[in-house]
Formats: sequence, structure tokens, C-alpha cells
Amino acid sequence: MTLTASNLEPHGDEELTAPEGAVPSVAAGRSPMQLAVRRFRADKLSVIALAISAVFVLCAIAAPILVAAGVLDPYTFNQDLLADDGVKPLGALGGISWDHPLGLEPGTGRDLLSRLMLAMTWSLGIALTGTVITVIIGVALGIISGFSGGLADATVGRFIDLTLSFPQTMMLLALSAPAVYMIQNSISDAPGLGFLSDRDLASGLYVIIILAAFGWPPVARVLRGQVLSIREREFVEAAKLIGANKRRLYFKEVLPNVWAPILVYFTLLVPAYISAEAAFSFLGVGIKPPTPTLGNILADSVNYTTADPMFFFLPGIVLVLTVVFFNLVGDGARDALDPKTHR
Amino acid sequence: MAITKKPLVAMAAAAALAMSLAACGGSDDEPSSNSGNNAEGAKGGTAIFFNGPRFTEHWDPQRMYIGRDLNNAGRLVYRSLVAFPASNDPTEGTTPVPDLATDTGTTDDGGKTWSFTVRDDVKWEDGEAITCEDFKYGASRNFATDVIIGGPANYLFTYLDVPTGADGLPTYKGPYKKTGQADFDKAVTCDGQTITYHMKKAWPDFPQSMASLRYLDPYRADLDKGDASNFQIISNGPYKLEGKWTEGTGGTFVRNENWSEDTDTIRKALPDEWEFREGDEDEAIYEQLIADSDDAQYAVTERRMPPTFYDRIPEAEDRYTQVESPYVDYVLPNFNSPVFKDPACREALALATDKAAWIKAGGGDKAFKPAYSVVNPSVPGYTENPAFADIPDEGDQDAAKAKLAECSAPKPVKIKFTYSGGTPTSDKQAAALKEAWDAAGFETQLDPLADTYYAVIQKPDADFDVTWGGWGADWPSIGTVIPPLFDSRINLTGDSNGNDYGNYKGGPEVDKAIDEAYAETDLDAAAKKWAGVDAKLGEDVAYIPLEITIFNFLHGSKVTGYSNNVSTNGYADLAVIGVES
Repeated sequence: MTLTASNLEPHGDEELTAPEGAVPSVAAGRSPMQLAVRRFRADKLSVIALAISAVFVLCAIAAPILVAAGVLDPYTFNQDLLADDGVKPLGALGGISWDHPLGLEPGTGRDLLSRLMLAMTWSLGIALTGTVITVIIGVALGIISGFSGGLADATVGRFIDLTLSFPQTMMLLALSAPAVYMIQNSISDAPGLGFLSDRDLASGLYVIIILAAFGWPPVARVLRGQVLSIREREFVEAAKLIGANKRRLYFKEVLPNVWAPILVYFTLLVPAYISAEAAFSFLGVGIKPPTPTLGNILADSVNYTTADPMFFFLPGIVLVLTVVFFNLVGDGARDALDPKTHR
Repeated sequence: MAITKKPLVAMAAAAALAMSLAACGGSDDEPSSNSGNNAEGAKGGTAIFFNGPRFTEHWDPQRMYIGRDLNNAGRLVYRSLVAFPASNDPTEGTTPVPDLATDTGTTDDGGKTWSFTVRDDVKWEDGEAITCEDFKYGASRNFATDVIIGGPANYLFTYLDVPTGADGLPTYKGPYKKTGQADFDKAVTCDGQTITYHMKKAWPDFPQSMASLRYLDPYRADLDKGDASNFQIISNGPYKLEGKWTEGTGGTFVRNENWSEDTDTIRKALPDEWEFREGDEDEAIYEQLIADSDDAQYAVTERRMPPTFYDRIPEAEDRYTQVESPYVDYVLPNFNSPVFKDPACREALALATDKAAWIKAGGGDKAFKPAYSVVNPSVPGYTENPAFADIPDEGDQDAAKAKLAECSAPKPVKIKFTYSGGTPTSDKQAAALKEAWDAAGFETQLDPLADTYYAVIQKPDADFDVTWGGWGADWPSIGTVIPPLFDSRINLTGDSNGNDYGNYKGGPEVDKAIDEAYAETDLDAAAKKWAGVDAKLGEDVAYIPLEITIFNFLHGSKVTGYSNNVSTNGYADLAVIGVES
């Protein structure tokens, strides 16, 4: 077969078919990413969701800084603001006041706004870190298995089956105490890992590890499917023929063409992990009080349905809003990047 | 004891459970607590007992040591030579009356030998007569420390006239190994239906110990399967277990036809059945009780009402009872920890401890009242510990800071507080202590443990600096509080600190003071001596008292004769409770 010059030109983003809506007469053309952004911006709901999610992320970033600056105070007790039995905060609506805009935590009188904001830091931190690791593992194994085929593909395939058949919640509960203990006392001895002797960081790392260890198979499967079709494309054949090494094939030929599913998975995993982290905290795994997480505040709040309804509703509302808006962003991203899927 | 959190001991007693009965809602002339709804109930019906999330760990009489289980077993299925009558009078309720014996025991030498005669008209659930040999066999099981684990065997080790071997333990090793059987046969003898216990030293409280604990209950040698008998119930009381006990679910007790009410002055045995339900969370139990729905109308429980239900108490009207419990909660500095080896650090911790915040985080003055000694005020001879009496309930963080400056540990003083946690309330209470300690210059790490709690803190080499404990007297005597908790001779061994979680070692001076207080037979003089020992413990900061638990209970509307008797440690007395049909 003769190679034409054009086939030797690098293939990247332009390789994707022009999506509908692109006007052929505009000579400059738009990259698929530009097109996706355009589609995303056309969807009002997604844009609003993105803005609100950004506010949540900003809160999460700002909280530890504000705590250090003394603006937020999630730990100090204000028991003088509680009724004698220590349950109800004095004042209307769970003790809402200028000093405590969302009221107080029953029993301790700690400021609820401060606790929820710091909880956001921990919960989003865990969810985002977990998502990044999940996606990296899933993408790496997906590309290897899809591109190499043969033994590598079979091995990864069985590995996926194995992982999916594990009862992950049971594992998480059963292993939590010894694993956190090990992270805190053995792994933290390794150079540079001394920070893990902190109980909160060790527990957080444990949750992240579990989330990632059991979350990657769907990512890997989808990536493998995508890669299977890409590897048969001419530009990949061409690159192989001119002797491109594996690294170039993976990173320059394949990876740029699978950004869309990666991004979609990323945005959908974040809210899933936020609720997973909350569920684990609720079950008593993960970061323990007094350090706040959305899950452990929620676990406490369920006891106050009638005694302090404000405290019962607020943590739940915050968790629901966070998950819903991150989810809407994810859905919007999927619609924009992968317009052919129908929901 | 530990009341709910774990066990340890049971505790019993309380002589004067001051029952402040607060029934809210409704009339001012509330009935007193020992007359719940209708004083006298009729026979019949099924009553329910909510065992809650703290499972019964043993039904083996020689292994029980938790107040709730001792009470319930003693009222339904197990009888001993003597028992406490169902009474809320602090004296009457803690004075033994004959049960399986014909009298309350006789001693000619001030308590060194005790004899009881077993009634000849009492039977086991299978119809076999209860014999003196059954009692002797029951006592012997306490010595099998490799099989019969968890019970209050230490009392027999201390008192029963069995020689002590080189390892500090009795030479008799129990009925399974039979090592040293001859020694035991000399200490406990049977002559017809008369059983005689020979002590090393005078033990005037012996009948009380028998009535509060179950370690001297009779046992059937032919049915003993050792550890496999842990949940087996061989009844001689008014009820017997139907089928098997299932841990986490419970079991049902039905009438035992071989029990005759003519032989029993204590147990009314009104309901036809007692259904024990295990595994529900406190919140679930109290939702049902407060709504008085379906089955819960016939239910009683030993679980304390969670503070979140306090504002709904008026809904329950006269089904609510409040009782001051015979337990005291406290924290212990670990004498093996590098920080608290130094007395100045311990004193700083005591000064910094904010028991008011701990109490408020746990439900306020409805749930606790501040304690100033590890001994409950209901125990005769109680005195406030001078080391803690003058520290304000909120602690004195400034004085603590000054004291901490003398502490040799590097600043800030990092400490780890290991506590029995996992519930939102316990986590908040721990956080309350942390805030106050940190304000004084400590840097506290909280370490909540759930089911592994006692296993961890009973290890002498565990790495905690401070831990939590709760205890109530086994019977109304300070001798069942201070020595079981702080006598290092009976507690500290190579791989366990027994009930002395802080690894406190008083040394010869304290040991001698304990022995002298034990030997004193005059109550007032003994109380003074115990107060001296307690003052020394306070000086050493062997413990820091927090609070006295107050029980807040609900029961169902169809329950009759509900009483939180002194004789059952302030818990519901199942001997007299019935249900309306």
C-alpha cells in the first residue's frame, strides 16, 4: 500500500468526525473540544450546576484557610447557648444567629456552618482524590487491555471480573480498623509519609484506596471498548508502520481520542464518591468525629428528627445539593461530549 | 461494671438508689416508682424485654458480670441460696432473704465458715432435685479460669480457703482439669443438704455477694459442656428457655412446670412468657416505647433513653421513670504512658477535666450528675474525695496550665484518649473533654473504639494515655469498688490489667491500707479507712471522676407493677412485673 502524504500527518483531535451543528462553510473549523464547550454552554441547567458546584469547591478550599484564620470555628464548644439538657440550642431554628448563621450542633454548641464547610473540604477532598486515582487506574488498564489484546486483555478482563465480584462494602467495614491502624503505624514510617500518622489522614487514605480499588472496572471496560475501535483506525496503523513506540501509541495516538469518555466518567464519579464517602462515614468507617465530614454529621443528625429539626435537615440538604449539582454537571458533560448517546 | 458500655462488672447495688421519680406530664401525685401502673397484676400474657444493641454475652451463671444480665437471670431462671427481695427500700432491697436455702446462712465465727441448708422441695427444670453437690459444683467452676471466663471469680480466690500456688493463683484448677481437687473438697463441704464454705478470713458480706452475683449458683455437673454451655440455661426459676438463645436476636422464656410458687417468696412470675429481643438500636426501641405501639405496650428495657427523646417525655406521661443509678463513670490516666508517669502531668489533667461539658454533651442534668469519687454516693461510707471536691465542675484550666508547666513531657503535651465510642453522644462527650484539655495545653487525639474496647485497654502495653471506665459496687460495700479497680495485686498480670485499666500500682502502702480497710468490721471505722485509701488514689490521680449516671426509662402502657428496685440496681425488677391482657 502506498502512503499518501496526508496520512503521515499527525492525527489528533481533528480525527473526530465533525459534529452536527458545525457549519462547513467556516473554513477555520472548531476543535471537538470547542464544540463540546459550546454545546455545554447552550445547556442552561448545566451551566448553573457548574457554577454552584464551583461554589462548593471554593467553600471546600476556603474552609481550612478560614479555620486557620479564626473566621470559622468548627471545634469550640458553646454549651452556654444550649438548653439545660444539652440537646436543643436556645433560640429559634436551631440557634440561628448572626454569629452562627446555620445554628448550632446539639450537645456541643459547635457552629454548624463551620462544621459543614470543613466537612465539605474532607468529603470533596476524598471524593476528588478517589476519582482521580480511579480514573488513572481505569484508563491505564483500559488502554493496555484494549490496545494490546491477547494475554494482557484476558488478564485485565478476568481481573475486572474478580474485582466486581468482591463484596466491597463488607470488605470496607471488616478491614477498616486493622487497615487504618496499619497505615497509621507502619506505612507512616516510610520516608515522606509521616503525615499518615494522623488518624484523619490515615482514615481518609483508606477510604480513597477502597473507592479506587473497587471503582476502576467500569472505567477500564468503557475505555477498552473505545480503544478497540481506535486501534483499527488508519492513523494508528500508520503510526505503527512508521515504527512508533508503545509510549507514542498510547499517549499521542490513543489517549487524545478518548478524552471524552474520561471526562464524562470523571464528572459522574465525583458525585457518586461524595455520596459513597458519606455512606461510609455514616456506617462508622472513615474519618471520625470531632473532625467533620458530611457523612459523620449526617449520622449524628438523624437522631434529631423531632428534637432539633433544623439540625436534622441542614446536613442532609447540603449533601443532597452537592451530589445533585455535581451530577448535573456530569450529565451536562456527557451530553456535550458524547451527543450521540440518548438518555 | 460497666453499665452499658461493657462490662466489667456488674455492679450491683446501690443501696440507696435515690429514686427521684420524675414522672412528667400529668398529675403531681405521681405514683412512686415502685408502683408502676397497677400495683398488682394478673397472671398471663407475654411480656417483652428489649435487650438492645448490647448483647448478653453469657447466660452461664458463673460467667455473668453485667448488672442487667445478673438481675434478669436471677428473677427469671436462676435461684441461689439467698436472694434480694423485690424492694425499693435501700436496706430491705439489699438484705438477703432465703431462696433455695432454708435460712440466710449461719456462721459461728464471724464469717470464716458459712453454712446453708438447701430446701428439699426444689427442682431443676427437668425434675431432678437440687442438691448440695450442685452448689458445690457451681462454686468449683469459678476456678476453671481457662474455661469459665468473664465472671467475678476474684472473690472466691480472695476468700475461699484454697491454698495459693507459686503463680499467685489458687492451686485448684476447676472441675475440668481437677488439679488440686482435694484442696477444694476441703474448702467446700456437703453434709446431706447442708453446704459449708470455709474461708481464709472472715467475710461477713458473703450472703450479700451470693445474692448480688450469680457465681455461687448451683450447676449440673452432668449437663456441663464447659465453654459450650455459655448460652445454655438450666433453669431452676419460674421460667425456662424455649429452644435456644440466639445471640443478636434473643430468645423466649416460658413457664417452668417444675418450679413451684410455694417454694419461692420473691418471684411473682406473672406473665406466661418473657420474650427477650436483642439487636435493636436505642433510638428504635424508644421510638416504639414513646409511641406505645403494638408490642411495645408490653415492653420494658434496660436501655437508657437517648437525650434526643427528652423533649418528648411528656408524651409518655406516667410511663417515664427516672432513677439515679449505682454507677460512676470516670477517666483514668495510664500510669504506663510516658506522659502520665509524671504526677504533675496527671494533676494537670485532673485540673483541666471539664465534667460539666462532658455531662451537657451527654444529655445534661437529666442524664448525669457530677461525681466526686469513684464510689457512688449510695454506697454506705461514701465520702467525697478531697482531691477532686475543690476542682470546679468546669475544671480550672489556668491552674492546669500552671501545673502543666511542671510536667516533664515535651510541650504541647500530646495525649491519646481511648474511649468506648462509636455513638454520636459518646463522640461529643469525648470532644468536650478534648476541648478543655487542649485549652490547658494538652494536644489530645481522640481514639474511639467500639467492640474491641475492653480487649484493647486491658492490655498493659496499650499505647493510650487516658481512657474511660464505669463501675458500680457489686453490693453496697466500698470493698467491691476500690479493690476490684485499683488493687494491683488482683488486677495486674503479664498480659492483662484486669479492671485496673490505668495500670495503677499503689505499692505496699496502698496494699496495706486496702487490707486494713477490708479487715475492719465496724462499718464507720471501715468507711474512714476506705476514705483514706480513696484520698490516696485521688492524690496519685489514679482516676478522675466524671459523673453518676441517671437512668431515664420508659415502659409500655400494659405493663403492671413496674418498679426500678434497689434490689435490681435500679433496673426494672422482672420479679414483680406483669402485663395486662
